[in-house]
Amino acid sequence: MCLLLATALAATTLGACTKDKDHRTLRVLASPELADVEPLLKGLEDDTGVELKLDYKATADLSGPLGSYDLAWPASDRSYLLRLQERGERAARPESTAIMRSPVVVGLTPAVADRLRRGVPGGRLSWADIADAAADGTLRFGMADPRRSDTGRAALVGVATAAAGTGGALRTQDVSCDRLRGFRSGQTLTGASSRELIDGYVRRQSAADALIAHESELLTLNAAGKLKQPLEIVHPEDGMVLSDFPLMLLDGGEHEAYREVVDWLRRDDVQKKLMERTWRRPVGQDVPRPAKLRAEIGNALSYPDQPAVVQRLMENYGAPGNGRAAAGDHVVFLLDFSTSMRGRRMADLRAAFADLSGADPTAAGKFARFYRGERLTVVRFAGRVLQERTVTVRGDGDLRALNSFVGKGKFGDDTAVWSALGRGYDIAADALADRPGHPLSIVLMTDGENNAGLSYGQFGRRHAELGTAARAVPTFPVHFGEADAKALRRVADATGGRVVDANSSSLSQAFKEIRGCR
Amino acid sequence: MPEDRRPPTEEPRLTTRRPARRRHRYPRHVVAAMPLALAGLLALMVSGNTLRPFERVTTIDGKMASKSDYFKDPEVQRLLLKHGIRVDIHRLGSRGIATQSLRGMDVVFPSGQPAAKLITRQQQRSVRTARPFVTPLVLGTFRDYAKTLVAAGVARPQQAPDGGETLYYDLDMKKFLKLIEDQKTWNGIDFDEHTRRGNAGRVLVRTSSVCESNSAGTYLSILAFVKNGNQAPGTERGRHQPAGSGSGPAADPVLDVAQQVKPLINLQGMAADEQADSYFSDEGESIAPVSLIYEHQFLKHQVDHQKKRGKQDSRRVLLYPSPHALTEPELISLGERGDRLTELMESDAALRRRAIELGFRVRFSGEDGTSEQLNAYLREHEVQVPTPNPDQTKVDAPDLNALERIINHVGSCPPAGQDDGE
Repeated sequence: MCLLLATALAATTLGACTKDKDHRTLRVLASPELADVEPLLKGLEDDTGVELKLDYKATADLSGPLGSYDLAWPASDRSYLLRLQERGERAARPESTAIMRSPVVVGLTPAVADRLRRGVPGGRLSWADIADAAADGTLRFGMADPRRSDTGRAALVGVATAAAGTGGALRTQDVSCDRLRGFRSGQTLTGASSRELIDGYVRRQSAADALIAHESELLTLNAAGKLKQPLEIVHPEDGMVLSDFPLMLLDGGEHEAYREVVDWLRRDDVQKKLMERTWRRPVGQDVPRPAKLRAEIGNALSYPDQPAVVQRLMENYGAPGNGRAAAGDHVVFLLDFSTSMRGRRMADLRAAFADLSGADPTAAGKFARFYRGERLTVVRFAGRVLQERTVTVRGDGDLRALNSFVGKGKFGDDTAVWSALGRGYDIAADALADRPGHPLSIVLMTDGENNAGLSYGQFGRRHAELGTAARAVPTFPVHFGEADAKALRRVADATGGRVVDANSSSLSQAFKEIRGCR
Repeated sequence: MPEDRRPPTEEPRLTTRRPARRRHRYPRHVVAAMPLALAGLLALMVSGNTLRPFERVTTIDGKMASKSDYFKDPEVQRLLLKHGIRVDIHRLGSRGIATQSLRGMDVVFPSGQPAAKLITRQQQRSVRTARPFVTPLVLGTFRDYAKTLVAAGVARPQQAPDGGETLYYDLDMKKFLKLIEDQKTWNGIDFDEHTRRGNAGRVLVRTSSVCESNSAGTYLSILAFVKNGNQAPGTERGRHQPAGSGSGPAADPVLDVAQQVKPLINLQGMAADEQADSYFSDEGESIAPVSLIYEHQFLKHQVDHQKKRGKQDSRRVLLYPSPHALTEPELISLGERGDRLTELMESDAALRRRAIELGFRVRFSGEDGTSEQLNAYLREHEVQVPTPNPDQTKVDAPDLNALERIINHVGSCPPAGQDDGE
């Protein structure tokens, strides 16, 4: 029949003859975000005879059994490749073809977007501005869980890369201290996948002012009309992570069908349909775009190639946004108020605290600042402990009180470095008894040598008698003025901390450098 | 492959499963075309056309990297089908091809000589090969970045014939590497003065994985050559050692150079495949300011741009590295079916002619160089002709073993060939 038809009508009917030939079904492990392409796949089946059966699973790195899948279609294959590398597998990476692109961006409610822009010269928002607003409690955002969702993970890596500010890919030393504590404190919504996140937000729009997700998901959400007001999409100034939704061939035996699927998906007319339906950006150059997809996406950030870096990042970040307020760290500052601190040094110290309270306009400062939920203890000491104050940051008032405590403090004679540190560890031990396992660190700032109170040896003996948890609290000495560098290094080494030198920069710089170190 | 299915509780299986030989000897469209061929048979017999309609169409499985551009071209496919050949492309990096199993393949087409040599030396028998064309390794960038590099004294524009904006720049690799080593950011070399948007990212070249791709391996050869004082590492015997230099007889010059070039590559973090694909996409400039590509990809793009839009793509421009490196892809046959293809590539003038139209440099008999016909084709299509770099220093690639050691050191590449034993 087919033959007759073709013979009679020649080329134009050839398509019809191929239709019911060779029907093949491929099973695909797909990111839940890709549910929006499903309606187009009928066309694929009609044109090529290949049927894709999509199984949607939120998995950041395609972990779990893949044996029964012919193809995988994640938002990105980066985490998968890192996992291959970590396991030392042969570099037999599957054939993989980018199908669409979408950057990870921030969607803000219009009012919050306006407010944030007003605070930024030039009005171009960065991840640092988002982190700053999250830390001071004026921005609550939702983001998918980086441990389970590739979108969440891309977002986390993007923010952390911006926080490190090196212009290159994250390295081990960039994540050894957690620069995202303030950013994290603003997360109020999460989800196993970004679909779950967005569904949660649609149900409870008052729970957040911003969503971090793919541009495509936010444009789709806006277009669906389920929001009281559409989110304003911001492509952060300091860079983004781009997803390219690669279709990967897991079963080499299905190579031929795979090629047909890929060729079909990358056809200009299909790319156009994909774009119109999903708001992802076409990979080819010849598909005219609507205005919303012509916005510049900014510069792509380098993605780390060390699995341990991403792992550390995720361990640090944990899983905020589950309805409970993210628990902040506790930092005990031991500040030298001996008379030698008078004048310029004290001005430097006050400036450092003001900077950490939100005055620092630099990107590093915005990431490093004090944040809502953080617990701060300041101990002033000279020849003995002079005075101490603990606040849990709930609002600007708490930070003002802390700054005035530092700013108006009186000086004393002598320098009892080790007595002060002993007091620091007592505070730590009490705090850990109240909240076991809570992250806590000690910052010891001094500008002179110990000449009063406990000797280092006496301190050491007292320290050895502490419980395991308190003993494990690291001390980060800030070397200033004429402090005893050797002794400070000794205590840092003994407790797992690190010395920073404020003489070569400033106290503000030194404090920033050890923020988030534990 | 039901026997290949594993119980869902088992360890995640990470490698790709081996392609089973179960392709269709007669692809659907060929089967479908047969009746048509039948219809045309009479006409063919009358016209005396040599095309034999009942000849079997052979599907040739080939692993290839960027040179799949050639076999993906519809005109090449048409020419091959006239000879009863259809090529099924398995896309993979060139070095990846060399280090993985070739079972089930008829040909492989690595993009350069290092990978080609790795493959041919593993073959048990002498193999038929064809080297139909060459193409230089280049850096694809964008106008504002090129201008920034010119202002930094690192690049020099080539003269455009009509005095307009040039598509090509010569890049002083030694100075360029200095920028990377000095940890310069694009804004740090005043990129923000050449555009309304800045870029706080480091100056770097985006490459595909050094463990898997020919382009990245060849780029490593350039870096190693430059860092080694314009000499291929491993050939230092006659070189003057500065008096009192610390390198004793035990020093390993190859490893030494590898250590120097490693940070220049690893700075980019995770490497990304398909550099050209992202470079030519609308998001290209956001994805990477400088991408490692091949000249043929750029020239093909410019010719297409002229044809479609009546002008050159003046936003995308090329940096020709100096010293430069030429790549020579090699089509390697692994059996009888493959032999047919390599023979055709050697003998068929139309296939070679088409290579020029796809931006490759092809040597024809009677020509001194490989560029004359390509240049003529570019002129004909109103695309600026690149001029050879006045500094003709060509990178001497390290010998294969030295290059392999550099690649393995820089990329911490997994050992090769394990999946052959399955």
